[in-house]
Amino acid sequence: MAKEMIAMLLAGGQGSRLYALTQKLAKPAVPFGGKYRIIDFPLSNCVNSGIDTVGILTQYQPLVLNEYIGNGQPWDLDRLYGGVHVLPPYQQASGSDWYKGTANAIYQNLSFIERYDPQYVIILSGDQICKQDYSDFLKFHKEKGAEFSVAVMEVPWDEASRFGLMVTDANDRITEFQEKPKNPKSNLASMGIYIFNWDILKKYLTEDEADPNSENDFGNNIIPNLLRDNREMYAYHFSGYWKDVGTISSLWEANMEVLDPEHSGINLFDNDWKIYSRNSGMTGHKISAGAVVENSMITDGCRIKGTVKHSILFAGVKVEKGAVIEDAVIMGGTVVKSGAVVRHCIVAENVTIGEDAVVGAMPSEGENGVATIGAGVVIGDNAKIGPKAMVSKNVEGGEEQW
Amino acid sequence: MVKSNTSALGILFPNTYDALVPELVNVRLMASIPFASRYRMIDFILSSMANCGIDNISVMVNNNYHSLMDHLGSGREWDLVRKNGGLNIFPPFAEKNSKLYTGRVDAMASILDFLRSQKEKYVVIADTNIAVNFDFNAMIQDHIESGADVTSAYNVQEFPESFLRNLSNDKGFYYTFSIDNGRITKIYVNTKETGVQNFGMNIHVIDRELLIDLVNTAFVRGQQYFERDILLPQLNRLHVHAYKYDGYVARISGMKSYFDENMKLLDDYNLDALFSGSPIYTKIRDDNPTRYIEGAKVENVMVADGCIIEGTVENSILFRGVKVERGAVVKNCILMQDTVIQSGAQIEYLITDKNVLVSHGKEMRGTDTFPVYIAKGHTI
Repeated sequence: MAKEMIAMLLAGGQGSRLYALTQKLAKPAVPFGGKYRIIDFPLSNCVNSGIDTVGILTQYQPLVLNEYIGNGQPWDLDRLYGGVHVLPPYQQASGSDWYKGTANAIYQNLSFIERYDPQYVIILSGDQICKQDYSDFLKFHKEKGAEFSVAVMEVPWDEASRFGLMVTDANDRITEFQEKPKNPKSNLASMGIYIFNWDILKKYLTEDEADPNSENDFGNNIIPNLLRDNREMYAYHFSGYWKDVGTISSLWEANMEVLDPEHSGINLFDNDWKIYSRNSGMTGHKISAGAVVENSMITDGCRIKGTVKHSILFAGVKVEKGAVIEDAVIMGGTVVKSGAVVRHCIVAENVTIGEDAVVGAMPSEGENGVATIGAGVVIGDNAKIGPKAMVSKNVEGGEEQW
Repeated sequence: MVKSNTSALGILFPNTYDALVPELVNVRLMASIPFASRYRMIDFILSSMANCGIDNISVMVNNNYHSLMDHLGSGREWDLVRKNGGLNIFPPFAEKNSKLYTGRVDAMASILDFLRSQKEKYVVIADTNIAVNFDFNAMIQDHIESGADVTSAYNVQEFPESFLRNLSNDKGFYYTFSIDNGRITKIYVNTKETGVQNFGMNIHVIDRELLIDLVNTAFVRGQQYFERDILLPQLNRLHVHAYKYDGYVARISGMKSYFDENMKLLDDYNLDALFSGSPIYTKIRDDNPTRYIEGAKVENVMVADGCIIEGTVENSILFRGVKVERGAVVKNCILMQDTVIQSGAQIEYLITDKNVLVSHGKEMRGTDTFPVYIAKGHTI
């Protein structure tokens, strides 16, 4: 039985620009928005779009991600035929290879796609926060009679040179591709989400693999080759919320935008497009007498006795009496002890912040950074962590780190 | 957590004590009454059993059980989707002369064939009107060591006055024990005595073969109740061992006690006592985290996911998906799933069932001794 479209999700990114957050964690497994991980977004989009077969290509630090995905049940992807499959590089008769590039990752799993004999394959990226209906994208692809389509976002012209750009004609047909050009001819940035006709994907991946000079990358190799051959290539305009959360500041920013759905456009309170996740199973959160909670998102298992303003707290965070949290993203299981002041920062999972410690600072003249504390770190009493610090080792009581 | 190779199966009676909370069971049954901001009553016993490796559990539903079926589904949330055992739901068997179960005896009599074909050595039976984080392995171990025929759990507590008021022989039974050297020597049915007593929890461990034998005999004689008709008359013949439970017990015995037992969990000490043991599982709703918008003022509350709070909330328990709009004031309330309190409304000592709407500017107050209950789906 053939599937109409299956998804291949690129989740091997090391996320090196997230530093302390991705020491032991692949980027798609980084927590986001109070109870999610980044990968919940593409997975939920798939299910909500009617795609029931997803291959997840992992490579870097896959343990947490593998365990998190499990049998795919939280996303309704535990299926008899199809469902979710984690696809790490594997040993073959001829030896094993790491995934050399995005295209090579898919190439090494052509036989996986073959099993489902789909008409179309959608290639997704595991490091974006986006709610998108892929079925609408597919409809566009079919209507245009395309062999390849790419989802694009309009970006401001002055930022266009940071992106891979699609130059199109009036009919949305792609005429040229510019990778981070100095002189952009278009402001349509590729979102790294592609729909291929299966036969085309297979043909070009196979040819690309045979080319010893190729970097085996979709942007650098496959798309230029498709253009060279004058294939039917179209750009699908997407106008919803989309954010690449590849850096500390963009990750922090996206979390803050969740607090303001009316303006930012990322609404997690959408019953028609739920984002699914693996739940913590903790009790409802508790806010004690004397606590202050303003403009924040708080989830199960939290115990708040201090002050929390404009922040996102993940499951099981404890904020003791007299502690102050502001403009911060505090991930699951972290304890903020009494008198500690935590501002404008990202604190990863299971961190302890000691009494009267200071972490981060609100932006001021010349000082603008998002302090970051890695998972499991202990910050001693009275320690001080500067606004640009990137902490991945314990900090003793009273010490300072900038 | 290591699951031992518990050789016990569980039987739950989700309708027991429905009569104590007639309002709450109008559209459901005791087992599916929402409790502690995101759970249903059955979650506690069910999770406790699952956590102890009891993974063959039968639920003897009697009436009003649609909400429970919906809640339990296939039992996946409690890890009870098993090829061997797992979760079984037994409604009254529909035959020509079928009638609802009246007591545990005829309920169990209807599944004797099932019980005969099982392999577990012991059976654990329990109701769902108590929220506990119960270690069944400890109780089974005690049962084995004592060499008893039956082991019955009890806790020592001040007798809840609501039991005296609400229960009579036509509505159901509660039991207190006289205990001598670990053995139950007397069982009192619906005692009118007050004060601290050995209060039966209606949790029993018994050898499966013996249970089949006892139930079969009692059923033939037209007897209905396990404690009253099987244990009580045979205390001389059967060794009924008393197992004292010292953990936290939240027992629903009426509307007031439902209110109080919820509110007690606002005290961290009680919350930790109930939840710090093994995890308690419940049905997942995939709500987003709760959002506190500018202007929200909250103190001393327990809140589940999916809520949007813009108003003032004090000393209250909020279930999933509750909305408290700007300027609304909620004090000493229990708001069940998807309750909406519109702007300017002021409520105090209210228990709102699911999907209640308190519209703009409305005021409504109960008292601490008489919380007002608003039925499911109503608009004020």
